[in-house]
Amino acid sequence: MIARPDPVAIGRVVATELKPSTPHQFHFWTANETTIGIGAIVRVAEGERVVYGVVTDGFAYSDLATPLHDVIGAEGDPARAAESPTVRQEIRYWTAAVLRQIPEEPLQPVPLGQVFVASDTDVAQALRMDAYLHSATPTAIPIGLYTSGGLEAPVYLDADFLLGPEAAHLNISGVSGLATKTSAVEFLLASVFRHFPAHKGRVAAVCFNVKGPDLCFLDQPGELSDEDRRRYELLDVPAAPFEHVHYFAPLKADGVNLNTLRTHPELVDDVTPLTWGLQEVVDFAEVLLNRDDIDAKADAFIDYLRDRVLGRAFEDGFGNSHQVGTFADLDRFFRLVFDGLEMSGRSDTWRTHHIATMRKVRNRLSNISTRCKGLVTDDGPSSDLPWGSFEDRAVYVIDVANVDPLGQDLVFARAVSKLREHLERRDLGVDAVVVFVDELNKYAPGDGPETYVKKMLLDISERGRYLGLVLFSAEQFRSQVHRRVVGNAGTQVYGRMDMDELATPGYQVLSPATKIKLATLPVGELMVRHPHFTQPIFVRFPKPPVLRGRDGMGRFPAAVDLPFEDAVARQLVHMDRRVRPNQVKDLIADRTEEDVRRALAAVRQKRPEDVLAYFRKMLGGRVAADASGDATGALDATRATQFGTGPREPGAKKRAAGRGSGAVRRKACLSNGVSRISR
Amino acid sequence: MTWWDALVRAGAVPAAYVPPASMGRTDADDGAEPGADLVEGDVVQVHPVEVAPSPPACFLDGIEQWKVVGYDGVLPVVRAYVAAAVRRRGPDRRLRTAFEASREFAIAPLAGLAPERRRALEENCPDVVGISIEEGTQPGRVLELARRAVDSARQALERDLAERALARLAGAEWLVVDGLLSVSGKLAGHPRALGVIKSHGAQFFSGADLERALTVPADHRTSVFRARGGHARNEVYSWYLRLWPWEGNDLLYGLLRIEARADAATIAGASAVSGWLLGERAPIATPDARWDRLLYPIHDVETYLKARAPRDFALSRTSRLPRTGT
Repeated sequence: MIARPDPVAIGRVVATELKPSTPHQFHFWTANETTIGIGAIVRVAEGERVVYGVVTDGFAYSDLATPLHDVIGAEGDPARAAESPTVRQEIRYWTAAVLRQIPEEPLQPVPLGQVFVASDTDVAQALRMDAYLHSATPTAIPIGLYTSGGLEAPVYLDADFLLGPEAAHLNISGVSGLATKTSAVEFLLASVFRHFPAHKGRVAAVCFNVKGPDLCFLDQPGELSDEDRRRYELLDVPAAPFEHVHYFAPLKADGVNLNTLRTHPELVDDVTPLTWGLQEVVDFAEVLLNRDDIDAKADAFIDYLRDRVLGRAFEDGFGNSHQVGTFADLDRFFRLVFDGLEMSGRSDTWRTHHIATMRKVRNRLSNISTRCKGLVTDDGPSSDLPWGSFEDRAVYVIDVANVDPLGQDLVFARAVSKLREHLERRDLGVDAVVVFVDELNKYAPGDGPETYVKKMLLDISERGRYLGLVLFSAEQFRSQVHRRVVGNAGTQVYGRMDMDELATPGYQVLSPATKIKLATLPVGELMVRHPHFTQPIFVRFPKPPVLRGRDGMGRFPAAVDLPFEDAVARQLVHMDRRVRPNQVKDLIADRTEEDVRRALAAVRQKRPEDVLAYFRKMLGGRVAADASGDATGALDATRATQFGTGPREPGAKKRAAGRGSGAVRRKACLSNGVSRISR
Repeated sequence: MTWWDALVRAGAVPAAYVPPASMGRTDADDGAEPGADLVEGDVVQVHPVEVAPSPPACFLDGIEQWKVVGYDGVLPVVRAYVAAAVRRRGPDRRLRTAFEASREFAIAPLAGLAPERRRALEENCPDVVGISIEEGTQPGRVLELARRAVDSARQALERDLAERALARLAGAEWLVVDGLLSVSGKLAGHPRALGVIKSHGAQFFSGADLERALTVPADHRTSVFRARGGHARNEVYSWYLRLWPWEGNDLLYGLLRIEARADAATIAGASAVSGWLLGERAPIATPDARWDRLLYPIHDVETYLKARAPRDFALSRTSRLPRTGT
């Protein structure tokens, strides 16, 4: 065993009548030259009692009675003041907040003892980390290094208080532009993945990329300095990018190009399109509909649709059978009901719902697929996250940075609802999920309307920890985020803060010196509050081992949107290398984009062995518009109008004739009074 | 148990009296009538002084504190503390303690004490200084004798420390002593020892010379003279130096008397020495009321000594209030 040298006292506790020691605060002085600074952890030893404290304020003053005496002594010449033969006696005087006292009872004022710089053991004791660091089932997750006076001691969070069930959630605040918030979360996720206790099961992360390319390159290595690598080693976190990252992004309005900045040819293959149909969206109609013009009557009608119509066989009372599964089906349902009412000459009411209400709901629902085009499809299969088969230690990035705010709300609401639903059933594939949401100022503002997303964030914050649904959130102004969202975050992290923000009441508990330190924090340093820490602690964390968004855009610039045919070909080639682009282009040359998109979506969902054959089959299985004026023609005409695809190109009829089997199936269905398209 | 507790147990009446003059120090004022022999010119003249950089230097000062802790009849028994220190100024212009010494002791008219009180005192206090009194001596006179004993102890401590410091002075280093240089033969004879006297109970001139000496303008010094009588026990040369303008204040405002070795070199170097002593007026030694004459390094030594002195000599605000029945 290596004998440690006896520690040398660096200060001494002093107490006066005006500034006494208390059980929670004490004052001490040090030599003028000292390694102590704001945020340093110190140990006071006096007899059997040991007190740990963190420096919260510092003062320096001399024996100068009044500044005027300095002027007189220098005869008004500042240069002479600096030349005085003797330097005045001065003091470095520090205020420290108590982190822990041993023994804890009876709780007494801090004794007037010697002050020592904390060792790494002291840091663990002071922050009460010993309980979860050295227990039989350790739950310690490193968040960074406490650094002071040459000491670098890892600081650990308790997984039970970071990821539940005792407490949960993490909120990080800081000014924008320093990449601190995102970097900190990236590092912490890497740390969680490395140190998540085995007895707590499996863990994954779902990250919403809400701005630029921030989270688009989590699987790519970033540049790390030797210093960063050394810190990774100290913290026992691998200095490598995430091994399992799955990217999801909606399509653009053209339905084939991805709506993400991760479109570089080398990377785009990893991005899975995120597209949802009516079935996926309808439960979240509340997210999408404007509360100002959807009244109680409309609500009732939407409930009726949800309960009685969608996804089941339904008779409309006018001799039509419906199986509404897509927006197109829904539109046809409305049209036939309105036609039925008109033809029958009945009143303006259908099944107790007024026709005006129905028209309003139709209008709003139809708008969804227009406003969220690329995310919400009118028809065709959806492409979704792998609910039920989440991988352990995997990151699922949902890129909604370029999506309409309404679409972002929808993605967030549905993704979180599904996570919650599966976690409740314990069939997600993992036992805990970290959901990372940036820009909380936008999604859960302290004021403003009660949106669905805000309600969901509140729900996660208040009840998520029991399910293993953990919110890691970030924002620029903590004071402007809903109090219950940030208040329920067991762990609070602060990067460099704006002075205006620090002047708000939420920061009154911090000393002026701590505020100044927060306002000038360098990149890579954070202040952490955690349930086990009595006082905020400053830590340094290494640069995340992944490519930063900005750097990633330099190395992997986003590709220009491909023409429709090329984009379709690329997707099919990606799924099956045997597919030749020219084959695809020939196949879709004279088909409507709508049909092609639908077929492509079906291939994506099925992932067949022979991609081209299946694509051809799906493409051929659809019915082209014709001029017969029957129900089928009317439906397709409506679609063509609704989706802006226009009249078919020359040759469409010929192809339709060639797709005899599909047409036959379709007509057979119609003859039975069922409007759903066979698939 | 402290020795004064033992004394009270032996029958003395406890006391807590801090004489008004007991917390400071006084320069010796006994000795023959002071006089001066000019060694620089025929009449007292004033010489302008230019501020000059200070050489490496050490500074010596001492403190004394005493109080009455008990009475045997009307005879006071005194507890005393004296201390002295030499603080060396380093290249960083900060002062650090080089030498220090202190002494805590009892002063009592031993012969006048009752046998049991005397025995209790001598058995429990390792350092007792006896003072001789005649029968029927008034308590006030005993206190005056006690004060002299304390002064004497402090001077002895300072002298001892100064001589130790002199032996360790670096090549170009000076020792600046707060008070008389002439109290020690070794001090008085050292080429780089200076005494800085800020109290002027003894006047060495009369007539026009006195007027010129006491009205010396700021940034000026007087002619060097040999001090006779007064405090002088060893021959030293001396001169007056004015740190701050006295006009509008007092004749003695900012006035120092410097003592140095009685040597021709002292006359030659008086202006140079005065120059760097003049520079020592900054920083100002506030909040001490004597700041106009108190060099900051001396003030620093005094502050250091006071900070290390026993805390129970000062009279607390409530200690003299009558005790309640409980």
